[in-house]
Amino acid sequence: MDTIIECRRLTREYRKADTVIRPLDELDLDVPRGDFLALMGPSGSGKTTLLNLIAGIDSPTRGQLLVEGADIGALGRNRLAAWRSRHVGYIFQLYNLVPALTAYENVELPMLLHPMSRRERHERIVAALDRVGIADRKDHFPRQLSGGQEQRVAIARAIVTDPAIIVADEPTGDLDKPAAHAVMTLLQQLNRELGKTIIMVTHDPAATAYAARTLHLDKGRLVEKDSIGGRLEAEEASV
Amino acid sequence: MRQLPFYYAFRNLGRSRLRLAASLVGSSLVVLLVLASGGFVRGMQLTLAQRDGLHDNVIILGTGSEEALERSQIDSAVEGIAAASIAGLKERAGVIFASPEIHAALPIWEDAGSEQERLAVMRGVRPVALLVHPEVEIVEGRAPRAGLDEVMVGQLAATRLGLPDERLAVGRTLRFDDRDWAIVGRFSAPDTVMNAEIWLPLTDLQIATKREASVSCVIVTLEAGPGGASFADVDLFAKSRLDLEITAIRERDYYASIAAFYGPIRVMIMVTAILIASGGILGGLNTMYAAFASRVREVGMLQALGFTRLAIVASLTEESVFAAACGALIGTVLGLALLDGLAVRFSMGAFALVLDAPVVLLGVAGGLFVGLVGAIPPSVRCLRLRIPEALKSF
Ligand SMILES: Nc1ncnc2c1ncn2[C@@H]1O[C@H](COP(=O)(O)OP(=O)(O)OP(=O)(O)O)[C@@H](O)[C@H]1O
Ligand SMILES: [Mg+2]
Repeated sequence: MDTIIECRRLTREYRKADTVIRPLDELDLDVPRGDFLALMGPSGSGKTTLLNLIAGIDSPTRGQLLVEGADIGALGRNRLAAWRSRHVGYIFQLYNLVPALTAYENVELPMLLHPMSRRERHERIVAALDRVGIADRKDHFPRQLSGGQEQRVAIARAIVTDPAIIVADEPTGDLDKPAAHAVMTLLQQLNRELGKTIIMVTHDPAATAYAARTLHLDKGRLVEKDSIGGRLEAEEASV
Repeated sequence: MRQLPFYYAFRNLGRSRLRLAASLVGSSLVVLLVLASGGFVRGMQLTLAQRDGLHDNVIILGTGSEEALERSQIDSAVEGIAAASIAGLKERAGVIFASPEIHAALPIWEDAGSEQERLAVMRGVRPVALLVHPEVEIVEGRAPRAGLDEVMVGQLAATRLGLPDERLAVGRTLRFDDRDWAIVGRFSAPDTVMNAEIWLPLTDLQIATKREASVSCVIVTLEAGPGGASFADVDLFAKSRLDLEITAIRERDYYASIAAFYGPIRVMIMVTAILIASGGILGGLNTMYAAFASRVREVGMLQALGFTRLAIVASLTEESVFAAACGALIGTVLGLALLDGLAVRFSMGAFALVLDAPVVLLGVAGGLFVGLVGAIPPSVRCLRLRIPEALKSF
C-alpha cells in the first residue's frame, strides 16, 4: 500500500512577542492510501492544526509535508488553492453550507472550479447527493434541513469533485447519536466502497469504532494512548 | 481563475436587510447629490456660459442693475437717444446696431392643462438683434412676427426647460401670459447664453411683462477701425445723461462678472456635495464592515474549497455593484422626477437645474463608484484572517 500523506518533523508555530506557541511539534506521520484514521486528543493538542496542514489551508513553519507526492508546504497561495480543489474534501463540524444556496447549489460550488460540461456536472452532483441519501431534498435551503441532513449535504460537497483525501474536523460534534451514526456509517462507506483516505478528528470514542485506526495527539505530538493517562480518560468519560 | 456564479452574489444580497438598505439608500443618495450639484452647475453653464465676444458689444442698462439684466429697467427711449447721440456705432444699410431688449426669467407651461411650471429665459427683441448678435443664426423656420403670439427657440432651450427636444419643434406651442404661443423658428447660437433662450418680438414681451414704456437694456455694437466709437464714448454718453439713469458695460465684462459671482457658489456646491457624499460613504462603509461579520466563516470555507481570494473579491464586488446599481436607478428616477427643471432663484437672476445626459451619466457613475468602494470593507473583513482563523470565526 502506498503512502498518501507523509509528515516529517512537521512543525507549526505561532509567535507572539517573545512567546512561541507550538501546536505541532516535529510530528512524524505516515498515512497509507485508503486509511480511515481517527485523531483524538485533549483540546488544544493540535488536531485541527494538523488537519488544516494536510488539507492545505495552513502552511507548516518547519518540516516536510508530502500529500500525494506534492510538497504542499512549498506551494504559493493560488497554487495551493488549485491543489486543494483537486485533492481534498473538507468536512466541518458546523457544516458551513451557504445559507443562500440550495443543497444542490451548495454541492455545485466546488464543481465550479473544474471545467466540465453542464451535463456532466449535473450528473455528478446528483450522484453525490444520491450517495449521501439526500437527493429528494436537493432544492431545499440549509435552514430547511436538520443538522444531520446538512452534514450529509456537506459530505456530498466534499466528495463531488472526487478527491482522494477527505478530512473531517469533528463531523459529528454537533449531532445527536442517531444522526452521528448515520454520518459515521456514510464516512465508512466512502472509505470502504470508494477507497477514500479519511482523516477525522473526533472527541467521540464511539466514532472511533468506525475508523480503521485511532491515533492520539498531545501537545503537538503523537502519543501512546496510555501515556496521556487519566487526563484523556477523564475527558473521554465526560463526552 | 474560476469565478463564483452571479447567482451566488445575487442571492447573498438578501441576507442582510441592513446592508442591502445601506447600499440602496447610500448609492441613491449619492446619485441624487451628483444629479443636484451636476444639474446646478450644468444649468448655470447653460445660462451663463458666454463665448468671449467676437465683436465689440456694449450693454446700456439701468444704474444699480449692473449685475442682473433681468432686474434692469430703462426707458425705451434710450435706444433712439443712444443711436442719435453716440457717433461711431456700427451701421449697415441705414440700420444702426442698437438693439433694445427685454431679458426676463418667466414661468411657462407646456399647455393650459399642464401643472408644472418651468422657468424660461425670454428675450424680447427687434429684428436688429440679429445684427447685434451675429452668432444667432435661424436654422429652421423664421423669426417671430409681432402681435401674432409667435416665438423662436434656441437649440438648448428644451434642455434648459427639461423638455424633450421635439417638444420645441417648429409648429408646437408653449403657454405663458395665459396664451398659447406658436414656435415658428429655431435658432442656434453656440456657446452663448442665447442658445438656451426663447426669443419673441419686443413689443409682445413688453405687453406680457406689463412694461410698455421700458426695456431691460440697449445693446449696441461699436464700429471697428477708424471712426468707430470706443467703449469710452458709450460710457461718456451714459454718464452724461444722468436723467436716464443708465450705465454702460462691455458685454464680455457683464458675463465675466456674473461668472465671477457664480464661481464661488459653484465651488461651494461641489465641496458641499463631496463632503456630504464622503460622510455618507464612510458611514455606509462602516455598516458594511459590520454587516459582513457573519460572512467571514463562509468566505473561509470558499477558500478551503479552492476559490482564490481574487475570485472572492470579484464576487463581493459584483454583489456590491449590483446593489449600488439598483440604488443608482432609484436615485436617477427620483432625481429626474424631483430635480429636473427645478428653478433656482438668486438675487442675480434665476436658472433651472438641468439634468441632461452627461449629468445623468455622471450621477449613475457616482452610484456605481459607491458600489466599487462598498466592496472594500467586506473584502477586507473577509480576507483579513487566514483561512484556519476565518473558519473558527462566528
Ligand atoms: N492563530 C493562532 N495563534 C496562536 N495560537 C494558536 C492559533 N491557532 C491555534 N493556536 C493554538 O494552537 C493550539 C492547537 O490548536 P488546535 O486548534 O489545533 O487544537 P485542537 O486539538 O483542534 O483543539 P480542540 O479539540 O479544542 O478543537 C492551541 O493551543 C491554540 O491555542
Ligand atoms: Mg479543533
